[in-house]
Amino acid sequence: MRPKSYVPYVFLMPNLLIFSVFIVFPALFGIVYSFHKYDGLNPMEFVGFRNYASLLQSREFWEVMRRTFVYVVTAVPLIFAGALLIAMMLVQEIRGRGLFRAVYYWPVMISFIIVGLTWKWILGDSFGVVNYLLERIGLEPVKWLSDPTYAKLSVILATLWSRIGFYMVIFIAGLQSIPQDYYEAARIDGANRIRTFFNITLPLLKPTSLLVLILSVIEAFKQYPLMMALTGGGPGKATTNIVQYIYQTGFIKMQLGMASAMSVVLFVIIAVFTVFQFRLTRGGAIE
Amino acid sequence: MDNKKGRILGILLLAVMLVFGLAACGGGSGKGGNASDGSRQSEGDGGGSGNTGASDDSGSGNTGGKQVTLDFVWFTDGIEGEVMKAIIKDYEAENPNVKINLVEVAYSDLSTKLRTMIAGGRPPALARVTDTGYYKNQALPLDDYIGDQEAFTSQFMDSIKPYYVMDGKVIAVPMDVTANGLIYNKTLFDKAGVQVPQSPDEVWTWDEFKDALKQVMEKGGAKFGLVWDFTPHRYSTLLYQFGGSIFNADGTAAAINDDAGVKALEYFVQLHKDGIIPESVWLGGENPNNLFRTGTVAAHLAGNWMLSNYREITEFEWGVTYMPKAERRSSVPGGKYVMAFKGSGVEDEAAKFLLYLSSKEVNGRYCQESLFISPRKDNAQLDYAFGKEMFEIFSNELANTPAEAANDWSRQELITQFTTDMRNQIVEAVAGNMTPQKAMDQLAALINAIIANTN
Amino acid sequence: MTARNKALLYIALIALSLLYLFPVVWVVLSSFKDANELYAWPPRLFPKHFTLENYTTALEEGNFGRYFLNSAFVTITSTLLLILINTMAGFALAKYRFKGDTFILIAIISTLMIPLEVIMIPIFKVISWLGMYNSYWGIIIPPAATPTGVFLMRQFLLTVPDDLLEAGRIDGASEWRLYTRVILPIATPVVATLAIFSFMWRWDDFLWPLIVISTPEKYTIQLALSNFIGQYDVDWGSLLAMSVVSMIPVLIVFLIFQRQFVKGIVMTGIKG
Repeated sequence: MRPKSYVPYVFLMPNLLIFSVFIVFPALFGIVYSFHKYDGLNPMEFVGFRNYASLLQSREFWEVMRRTFVYVVTAVPLIFAGALLIAMMLVQEIRGRGLFRAVYYWPVMISFIIVGLTWKWILGDSFGVVNYLLERIGLEPVKWLSDPTYAKLSVILATLWSRIGFYMVIFIAGLQSIPQDYYEAARIDGANRIRTFFNITLPLLKPTSLLVLILSVIEAFKQYPLMMALTGGGPGKATTNIVQYIYQTGFIKMQLGMASAMSVVLFVIIAVFTVFQFRLTRGGAIE
Repeated sequence: MDNKKGRILGILLLAVMLVFGLAACGGGSGKGGNASDGSRQSEGDGGGSGNTGASDDSGSGNTGGKQVTLDFVWFTDGIEGEVMKAIIKDYEAENPNVKINLVEVAYSDLSTKLRTMIAGGRPPALARVTDTGYYKNQALPLDDYIGDQEAFTSQFMDSIKPYYVMDGKVIAVPMDVTANGLIYNKTLFDKAGVQVPQSPDEVWTWDEFKDALKQVMEKGGAKFGLVWDFTPHRYSTLLYQFGGSIFNADGTAAAINDDAGVKALEYFVQLHKDGIIPESVWLGGENPNNLFRTGTVAAHLAGNWMLSNYREITEFEWGVTYMPKAERRSSVPGGKYVMAFKGSGVEDEAAKFLLYLSSKEVNGRYCQESLFISPRKDNAQLDYAFGKEMFEIFSNELANTPAEAANDWSRQELITQFTTDMRNQIVEAVAGNMTPQKAMDQLAALINAIIANTN
Repeated sequence: MTARNKALLYIALIALSLLYLFPVVWVVLSSFKDANELYAWPPRLFPKHFTLENYTTALEEGNFGRYFLNSAFVTITSTLLLILINTMAGFALAKYRFKGDTFILIAIISTLMIPLEVIMIPIFKVISWLGMYNSYWGIIIPPAATPTGVFLMRQFLLTVPDDLLEAGRIDGASEWRLYTRVILPIATPVVATLAIFSFMWRWDDFLWPLIVISTPEKYTIQLALSNFIGQYDVDWGSLLAMSVVSMIPVLIVFLIFQRQFVKGIVMTGIKG
């Protein structure tokens, strides 16, 4: 018995309809903008590929892209490993498990503006708690936010703190769905923990891993509210990532056409990444 | 068979999307002209009050008893939101046919909100704005309502005229003006035995001020001498004091990299190097208000808008004093305006309310209660409940401000395009990555490119 | 697990928790400080003068009871809708092979890659044309379809053997019945995850309400919160207090639904 071939489309219909109407269709307008000079208010002026041409030549744009890329490849593996590690601890049968889970999920719920305020209070150069304590024990204060390298580090730290909990939840759900029989069998075979992890947990977690990987890569590429609140993208432009740059171009410099062109380029780059991840893992199917 | 059905369904799906698409295009073609769907008077509650079809073709002219709702997009800094709500209440009582719907948003979301509303074909009746120039083509010209333009504008400070008169039309009404100025920690100054200037005749030079701050740091125990808001607008105070300006007089070229401009930046960088200004504000994004409020910073270069916030301070005494001079004295004027928009469907009522807001009595009440400086010449002496003597200092700062300051900052269509870069170039110099000369040369090149591109 | 391992696990968890909680604790404790203490130097963790002032002033400022109810209505409705349509889509993508299935999945995921800020104007127009402007539907329906939700469901169902569905089909069950009676029950962890996420997304949502809602009576809690942020001045006290209050429902929802992360009992024995 095979189901009728229209069945999947019916199941997909509500989602597709909403996506097409509210995202895809407006996004087409975005593509149109990218060929125009447009400030968001006054009539558009067609400029052909000029936005793209000046984008490709813009040293600054590619510098921001490179910086974003460095952020992505630093943050994503740490988020992935951290979330998986905590999730594995929190699927064990222990007391107060729900409470522990809530602790790690808590930062996820805090809005970025409060996250920024909090971390500034902790890491602020002249009035932060950490530097205060360092000075109290006679050490030199560290320029957590005003030195470019430390600022990038601080941003990563805050990212991990505020995002790990989210992916932890996904991993917990994924880990719980691995049938216990496999672990039983491994135990009987006398496999140690590490062997079990690599031979059973990881392969069976593949669908979830791909999910976390793709989602966290996209999110990291687009992350900027956190930097806005914590460093304002500074010092200078040291922590200004691509979407903040797009935002500045579109909403402070009022060049919405150019900002749209940047978004299109960003879209293509992330899309290539995603398709690549997808192909590599064959959609996360378990062999 | 199944396959065929699938195909039919696919086509159906496509058709639905197409219909949506067409409907959308149809609505969009009337750009600018789709103002007629704006007269959405009844908001009611419940859902779905997007009654776009209820266009009121009788249009303007009928101000009589028609029930109207004016959407008024607003942001709040201190206490002025509450003051405005009280004024609206009074106005509604006097004009029972008008309901004013105050749509409050965060300042950082103001342009997003306004831009989507205007570009989306639903401009609000009114909005509180700072960057008037950006909306000049969408603003409702008020000339039909104010009578003689000259008589109207002469009621307000002359220096702010370029902000609300554009292309020969009055496009907004001034609500308050701001002045950059110097707020100091009196407790720390007293402890160090340093006296601040008592009258405009005793104004410090920058070097004298620097020495004074050093003393407050050494004897008064201040952790830092001065915090300076992380904005190009506040930085420009120093620029004007050193005799420089952003543009040349007629706005055809950048002047920020001339001798005065470079000297100002060199001085600014030196203040950081000497440890008087903490690097953490301009490089690390620390909030200068919060730092000043710790009571360990001698002075804050900000403006009169901080008074209502600092009023809550009980841990130490503070005051306002004259900013130091270099080549000359200078502050930088700023201000907030209320604008009505074309195509709201309620233009007449909106304009009428604007005139009400800008009248001597109402504007006086608004500024007095909000602790703002009034832009009206006849409201120069308001009876503030707090800090009356401070307002006199701010007014004196404005009175001693050269014309360049207002000229520069009213060229908003240009300035908005490089404020981020201006900030970054200053940061590059402060961080020591670039000499002040090079930072300003690069900025000037960018400004000139923007001027060439805009005209 | 041996007792020693268990002890180590506890120590690791508690140490990490303290590190994690420190900023949160600061947020909560600071909301009880008065304005002057908030900026005190040297920094203090605990309030010296415990005060509820931030809470009372923030609550007086606007109609927070109303905003709370608005947020609750929007969040609950949107979450129910999200769970229904996202699990349906995820089911279709995981358990049927059809033309363009991978393409559709990638297309859905790719909508995540668009910075919404840039296309806000056309989105506003669409909302306006559909009569959803200044209506709750405008903030309930558009964000109910989420790539994360669809993708989550699809990946989860990849681990569920097809035999389950085949068995049902042989018994003559309709596809809809399979979805409601077979798929949804075993997808409890996904439904719980979606409930947790959706509740948080909608409760903390800011962008959609910002562009859709224009009457104060319809404000959601986040929209009201943002009004504490001015051009020059941020009312940190009120902001902290209201952030703490608005966290509570999300936390409760999390605590309730995380219990649903149970071991996949159903699958045991079927695939092995």
